[in-house]
Amino acid sequence: MAGKLKRRDFLKGGALAAGTWLALPGMAGKLGTGEHTGADGEPRPYRNSWYPFTGHPDADTCWSLSTGPDGRIYAAACAESVPGGVVKVARYNEEKDTLDYLFALDEMVEDPSDSGRATQCKIHYSFAPSMADGVLYMATHLSGPPIDQPAYSPWRSWHDPERCFRGSALLAFDTRKDEVLWWDTMIPKEGCRCLLHDEERHLLYALSYPRDHFIIYDTRTRARRDAGRIGSINAQALFLDRKHRVWTTDDYGHLVRYDPETDRLERSPFVLPHNPQFQTGWHSVFYDVAAAPDGESVFAVTWIAHPRLMRVWPNEGPWPRVEDLGPATQDRDSSIPVDTFIDHCGGLVFAGDGQLYYVASRWRDPVYQPKLESGHPREGVVWRLNPKTLERTEVAILEHPTHPAQYVSRGAVDHNGNLFFGVVGTKPVGIFQVHLPASRRKENAHLPIRIWG
Amino acid sequence: MSEKPRKRYDMNSPEARAVVDEIVHGTFMKEGTMAAFPTCFPGASTPIPADESHITALAVSGDGMIYGGTSGRAAHLFVGIFHGVTGIVFDRGAIEGADHCAAVCCGKTRFAACVNGAGGGRVITGELQGLPFDLIQEWGFGRPPLRDLGPVNGERIVHAVADGGGSIVGITTGALFTVDVDTGTIAIVGPVAGAGRIAVGSRGRVFGQDGPGDLWRYDTASRTITRHALKLPEGVWDKSPMTWARDNRSGLLYTADGQGRLFALDEDRGFSPVLGLTALAPVGPMAVTHDGRVFGFCGSEMARMFCYNPAARAVSDLGVAVSVLERRRYGYLFGDAVVGRDGQIVFGEDDDLGHLWLYFPRIERLKD
Repeated sequence: MAGKLKRRDFLKGGALAAGTWLALPGMAGKLGTGEHTGADGEPRPYRNSWYPFTGHPDADTCWSLSTGPDGRIYAAACAESVPGGVVKVARYNEEKDTLDYLFALDEMVEDPSDSGRATQCKIHYSFAPSMADGVLYMATHLSGPPIDQPAYSPWRSWHDPERCFRGSALLAFDTRKDEVLWWDTMIPKEGCRCLLHDEERHLLYALSYPRDHFIIYDTRTRARRDAGRIGSINAQALFLDRKHRVWTTDDYGHLVRYDPETDRLERSPFVLPHNPQFQTGWHSVFYDVAAAPDGESVFAVTWIAHPRLMRVWPNEGPWPRVEDLGPATQDRDSSIPVDTFIDHCGGLVFAGDGQLYYVASRWRDPVYQPKLESGHPREGVVWRLNPKTLERTEVAILEHPTHPAQYVSRGAVDHNGNLFFGVVGTKPVGIFQVHLPASRRKENAHLPIRIWG
Repeated sequence: MSEKPRKRYDMNSPEARAVVDEIVHGTFMKEGTMAAFPTCFPGASTPIPADESHITALAVSGDGMIYGGTSGRAAHLFVGIFHGVTGIVFDRGAIEGADHCAAVCCGKTRFAACVNGAGGGRVITGELQGLPFDLIQEWGFGRPPLRDLGPVNGERIVHAVADGGGSIVGITTGALFTVDVDTGTIAIVGPVAGAGRIAVGSRGRVFGQDGPGDLWRYDTASRTITRHALKLPEGVWDKSPMTWARDNRSGLLYTADGQGRLFALDEDRGFSPVLGLTALAPVGPMAVTHDGRVFGFCGSEMARMFCYNPAARAVSDLGVAVSVLERRRYGYLFGDAVVGRDGQIVFGEDDDLGHLWLYFPRIERLKD
């Protein structure tokens, strides 16, 4: 196995990583306040702070990070490569400048980590706020192995009551009282890849894994409905348009929408933008989507190497106008199917200045990227994109104290106007805060709030 | 508190990597190769809409083409061609007012499809497809008209089979009927308990389930139905619809009870003892390839493939279906199965965005 990274190998800290982490002082709070200089030698104005998941040493990924209905930042400290690992929900405490750990999810939903089943190991793009009552919905995902197994396959264990994942647990957390109001098994046997809340209609929408079914859950009746299968590759995001239609993608890069009027999943005949040199549209599913402040369009990026940025106008035409904004990451040798965890873009978020921010990876490559500013072999670059001019500006590099931090799952803006990003990578994982310059911050920058994970 | 304490797995154990690989990859297609083919001419046409493409009926024509029917929001009829310079599934059209296809059968010049809708079951026929020109170079397809023979008796059609002589024999929920595919004549023969699939036995007679313990038998020559003609072997026969696979060389029929126990039926010798047990139940579609091996799916929601090898007298679990050729796709639910020209098994995927799944069985090594 030496030298070959398998998907989940990337998520594990080796002995060196663990040792380095343990040796670091003062890990309870923030770390690594970045004051890097830019290429011009001037200090970067976008300082960043690092908050490792010290309250959950098993944590190896942060797949969900969202703004709660209270304007605070919630993050999922997931543990998926550890047998028996579980997810803990954390929240950024701005008074103490640290993370508070709210609860271990397995304990809230009566599905203990040592049950022998696949565990409640993560929340995967599945925080969804409810503004009227201050509830933050969250739904769990699978992949973490049972405590006495080294891995878990939902296909293998589907019919095994001893091993099979009990199901995605939907949990309603009252952010005003800091208490779990109720929970339910939203998708039996399957995980929830991503979640969206149509608050006006009291409906949660989800994509199931592994069967890739489109699930509708009524929060009033707590009833689930399965609207059918989309394909084999989960899209990683859903979004809502003005007509309450829910949008996502299929395996081949077609837009898919659920229209409540027809109660039908429909597919666009058109293929989303992708690299024409070595891609066909296959696997060009949404990775992340952020709504533009005007509510008329969304910005999206795909979940495939050389991820493509695009802008989609869902309210226009029989099928939306899609504007190709080009690749989010660097050129490379296309004869190698690059590691998914190296060539990546995520964390799309609009800040109070009306600009889109996102994190794209950059890595050392003898031909295309001989030098990296951070000195790491890889780095996560925070970009700012002006939605009017489409001009892109590099504003920061995420400063992990010991490792590259090129894979960002999600980004969010808090009520103070600062940005937060969840990191997936080598342990310790955690979240970053990127402090925006005062001129770019504003109060309640999180509103209108993002309603999908 | 869990019911029994479990020790955390040691990820540094020497066998961990092999166990992980087995869990991840050993779950799928333990032998042979699957290729999922979309319901279109890839690159030249669009597939049948996802919610209209649950493939629930298949038949193979004398020249090796695969005819099929779908269910869902609408029922479509299609033909799949995979030999020569072809490689296409051609949608022969959606049937107005139909949302379910119960069976497709091939005659010598036409095929017939039994479809259901709000008004009950109808029979639709169409001309057999001719071979197109080279589908790498240039092509042209017209959609020949389909002929609607009308309703059978107002009831839903449950299943039908070709009798080998230009007619089909079918059942509704309460009657047995025949259709002359060429003339389009539908005739009600008499009442039967219309449940599950029916099959043609080794002597050409047609069998179907007659209550929880028996089979009825239809003699095509005399056009007579014998109720409770044959006793089913001991088993669970009231939990899932009857399923069959026919060995076209010997005429031997295979079936399974509700617990996955496999049996064979020979018209002269009756039922065999239990041949084996599938990993899951119920047993769904299955077919017998040219060397006598039976391939099929078992289990609900996420079916697993099995093989019964009569030479070894053993049932083996082949895992969950996955295709990494033509289309990358997991296969969970299957509605029907037939044997293609060269012994490959063609499964119809009964799911949204259903594909035709071509299974090429492993060629057994010669023993020294």
